[in-house]
Amino acid sequence: MSSPLPWLTALVALPALVVAASFLRVSVERLRGFALSAAAVMLLGSLAVAIDPAMRTVVLRSSMLGAVPGGEALIRIDALSSALLPFAAGLWLLTASVTPRASLDRGGLRRTALATMLTLLSFLTESAIALLVLWVASVWTFLSAIADPVHVRQRRVVAAYMGISTLLFAIGVALIVWPMAHGTPVEVAGMWLIVVAALIRKGIFPFHAWVPEVFDHGRLGPAILFSAPQLGAYVTVILIVPRASPEVLRLIAILALGTAVYGAALALVQNSARRACGYLFVSQSALIMAGLDGTSVSAMAGGLLLWVSAGIAFAGLARCVLVLEARRGRLDLSINHGGYERMPVLAISFLAMGLACTGFPGTLGFAGQELLVDGAVDAFPVLGFAVVIASALTGLAVLRMYFALFCGRRDVLADTGINLGLTRREAWTFALVVIALVGFGLAPRPIVDSRFTASEEILRQRELRTSIAGEAENAEISHPAIAEAQRRPN
Amino acid sequence: MASLEVLMLVGIGTPAGLLLVLALTSLLNRPLLEQWTGRLAAVAMTVSCAAIGSALVLYGTAASGTVLVSYGYWSTAHEGGIAIEFLLDGMSLAFATLTAAIAGIVAAFSNRYLHREPGYNRYFVLFAMFVTGMLLVALAGNVEVLFAGWELVGLSSALLVAFFHERPAPVANALRVFSVYRISDAAMLSAAVLLHHVAGSGSLSLLFGNAETSAIAGLSTANATAIALLLVVAAAGKSALLPFSGWLPRAMEGPTPSSAVYYGSLSIHAGCFLLLRAGPLLEQTTPVRVLVGAIGLATALFSTLVTRVQSDVKSSLAYASLTQVGIIVFEIALGLYTIAFLHLAGHACFRLLQFLSAPNVLHDLHGLESAAGERIGPMAARVELMIPERLRRQLYLVALERGFLDALLDRAIVEPFHRVTGLMGRLDAFLCDFVLQRAPSLLVEVADDRDE
Repeated sequence: MSSPLPWLTALVALPALVVAASFLRVSVERLRGFALSAAAVMLLGSLAVAIDPAMRTVVLRSSMLGAVPGGEALIRIDALSSALLPFAAGLWLLTASVTPRASLDRGGLRRTALATMLTLLSFLTESAIALLVLWVASVWTFLSAIADPVHVRQRRVVAAYMGISTLLFAIGVALIVWPMAHGTPVEVAGMWLIVVAALIRKGIFPFHAWVPEVFDHGRLGPAILFSAPQLGAYVTVILIVPRASPEVLRLIAILALGTAVYGAALALVQNSARRACGYLFVSQSALIMAGLDGTSVSAMAGGLLLWVSAGIAFAGLARCVLVLEARRGRLDLSINHGGYERMPVLAISFLAMGLACTGFPGTLGFAGQELLVDGAVDAFPVLGFAVVIASALTGLAVLRMYFALFCGRRDVLADTGINLGLTRREAWTFALVVIALVGFGLAPRPIVDSRFTASEEILRQRELRTSIAGEAENAEISHPAIAEAQRRPN
Repeated sequence: MASLEVLMLVGIGTPAGLLLVLALTSLLNRPLLEQWTGRLAAVAMTVSCAAIGSALVLYGTAASGTVLVSYGYWSTAHEGGIAIEFLLDGMSLAFATLTAAIAGIVAAFSNRYLHREPGYNRYFVLFAMFVTGMLLVALAGNVEVLFAGWELVGLSSALLVAFFHERPAPVANALRVFSVYRISDAAMLSAAVLLHHVAGSGSLSLLFGNAETSAIAGLSTANATAIALLLVVAAAGKSALLPFSGWLPRAMEGPTPSSAVYYGSLSIHAGCFLLLRAGPLLEQTTPVRVLVGAIGLATALFSTLVTRVQSDVKSSLAYASLTQVGIIVFEIALGLYTIAFLHLAGHACFRLLQFLSAPNVLHDLHGLESAAGERIGPMAARVELMIPERLRRQLYLVALERGFLDALLDRAIVEPFHRVTGLMGRLDAFLCDFVLQRAPSLLVEVADDRDE
C-alpha cells in the first residue's frame, strides 16, 4: 500500500455511502444488505490497517488547529487507533447483522452508519476541536434515535446528562486550546471540565444514572451503539492522560474502581434484563477507565485491551437480549424463560460473550483482566482488588442472566414446527463473534503486544509533555515553542 | 526431557481439543452424533491418560528434579506479562495421572449412563472443559495457569449442576454453587496478584519449591499471612470446607457421573491439592496453619454428623467425602504431605466407585440382605448411642439442617447485599430525577424539540 490516505478515505466513505443510499428509493432489505457488505468491507479494510505497520504513518495536520496546544494531528493512525478501527467496524457489522428487522428501519440503518462514521472519525483524530465536533454530532445522532413520543423521559435524561457533559466538554476544550491559558490554572480548570464530561459520558459514579434508565426504558440498540465505542475513554486517553496531574488520574481511577463494583453489584440484583445490561455496561466501562489512570504500562494495556474485548463482548451480549426480546417481549430475570433447545446457538453465544466480559480464561478478556488487576494493585494496593470483586460479581450476574433467559421449563413451542429460532445470519454472526473472542483469547499475543505498544506510546507522550512543561516553566520559554515541542514526534 | 514435555502437551491437548471440537460444533448448531461424541471422548480420554501416565513413568525412571516448562509470555512487548508455564514433578504428574484415569473411567460410564439423554452433547462439552481445567490445575507452573484451570473447573461444575435445566431447583442450586465458587475464584485471583505484587513472581516452583530458597522466604509475615489466607479461602470454597459446605448437597442435582467426578473424586480435592502445593507457605505462617487444621477438623466432624442423617444416597456420599476431605486438610496442616496425598488419591478412587454405583445401591443392599438373611442396619448406630440423649438430639437437629450454614451465609452476606443494592438502586433513581429536574430547561427543550 503506497499511500494509506486513500485507504482511510475509503474506510470513512463506506458508512457515508450507506447514509447516502438510505435517501434513495431502495428497499430496506436491500439497504440492509448494502450496509452489511459495507460493514464487512470496512472490517477487512480496518484489519489491514491494524496489521500493516506502514499504514500507521498517516498524520494529517491542519494549520488552523495545529497552532493551538489542543490541536494536534487532525487525522492520524497510531498504535492506539489501529485496533479501534476494526473495533468500530465490528460493532457496525454486528448491529447491521443481528438487529431485528422491526428495530432497524431505513432511519435506523442511516443512523447506525452515521454513528459508525462518527466513531471512526473520532478514533482517527487527536484534535480536541475535532473531537468536540464529533462528540456533539454523536449525541445528536443518539437523540434522534430516541425521538419518538414513547421515550420522552429517556430523551430528556439523555439530553440533560449529555447536554451537561457536552457543555463542560466544549468549555473545557475552549480553555485548553486558548493560547493565553497554557500553563495557568485556567488550563487546569479546562482539563477538569473535560474530566467531568468524560465521566458523565462513560457513566462513572456519581454520573452514571442515565445509563440504566436509558438501557431499561429507552431504545436498547441505539444505546449500545452510542455507549459501546467508549468515546469517553478515547477522550480520556487523548486529552486527559497526557495533561492531567497524577492526582487527577488517581481520582479518576478511584472513582472508576468504585463504579466497577457498584455496577456489577447492581447488575446482579436486577429483574429487568435490559437494566442488568445497563449496569454491566457501567461496570465494564469503569474497569476500562480504571486502567487508563496512566500510572502503569500494564494497567493501561489492560484497560486498552478490555476496551476492545469487553466492548465487542458486551455489545454482543446486549444484542442477544435484543434478539430474544424480538421473540418474547420484555425479559424478566425473576423467572426462568426456558428455550435453550430452540436457540442453543444464542444461549451458547450469550454465555460465551458474557464470560468474555468478565475476563474468563480462554477469552480475550482474560489477558486484559489479568493485566488490569496487576496494574491496579500496583497503583492501589488495597483498592485495586476492586477489579477482582467486580469481575466475580459480573460473572455471577452473567450466569444468573443466562439461567433466567435460557433455562427453565421446556419450551412448548420447541416441537411445534413454528420457527422462532435464530435466522441463519444471526446465528453466524453470533458464532463468529464468539470464535473471534475465543480465538484471540487462545492466541492473544498480537493484540496484547499492540495494546502494550499503544500504552507505552501514550505514557511516553505524557512524560514528554510533563518534562517539556517543567522545562518551560523553568526557562520561561514562549508559548509557541512549547506548542511545537509538545507535538508528538513522528 | 523433550519427550516428557511432548507427553504432557498431548495429555492436556487431547481433552482441550475435544472441548474445542465439541464446543465449536455446538456453537455452529451442528452437534456431533451421540456415537461420534462418545467415540471422540473415549479416544481423547484414553490418549490423555496414556500420555500423562507415561509422563509419570518417564519422570520416575529418569529420577529428575522439578521440570519447569515455559511457553513464553502472552505478550512479547512486556516481560511482566502472563506466562504459560507448567510444572512437572512427582506430585503434579501423579495428580494429573489420577485425574486423567478417573476422567477416562467416568467418560466411559457417562457414555452409557446418558445414552439418548437430550443434553448428551452438552454434558461432554462441559466434561471436556472440566478435565482440561483439572489438568491445568494439576500441572500449572504459575498462578495464572492455575487460576485458568480453577475457573474452568468452577464454570463446568455450575453448568453441570444445572444440567437438567428445565427444572427450577437445579438452576437455582447451580447459581448458589457458582456464587461460592466466585468467592473462591476471587480469593485465588487476589492471591495470584498479591504474589506477583510482593514476591515479584507467579511461578509455583519459585514460590513453593523449597521453603528455604523460595521467593516466599523473603516475604514479610503480614504479606505471607494475607496470601496464605486468600489461598485457604480459595481452597475452602472449592472443597466445600467450613463455612462454605452448604453448597455441596445442592450440587447433587447434576447427573450421577458428574457428581462422582466432581464431588466424589476430583473437584472436591482441588482445594486440598492447592493447599498441598502451598505447603511451604503454610509452614511460614503458623497462625494460618493452625486455622487450616481447625477448618479441616471442624469440617470432618461436621460432615460425619451430617452424612448420617441424609435421606438420599448422593448427599450422604457427598458429606462422607467431605469428612475425608476435612481429614486430608488436617493432615496437610500437620505437614504430613505424603500421607495427605496418598489419602487424597485413595479416597478419590474409592469414592468414585461408591458414587458410580449409587444408582444401584438399593439393588445391591437387597442382594446383601437376601444373602445375609436379615436386615442390615446402619453400621455406626452403636457409636451414636454412646452420646448423651440431649446432646444427641441437638446434634441431630444441627445435622438435619446441615449446620444452618445456608441460613448463616444468607444472613451474613446475601441479606446485607440485597439491602445495600436496594439503597444503591434508590440512589440511582434519585440521581436521575435530580439531574432531570435541575438540568437547564434549555436542554429539556432541546430534547422535546426532537419529538417527531
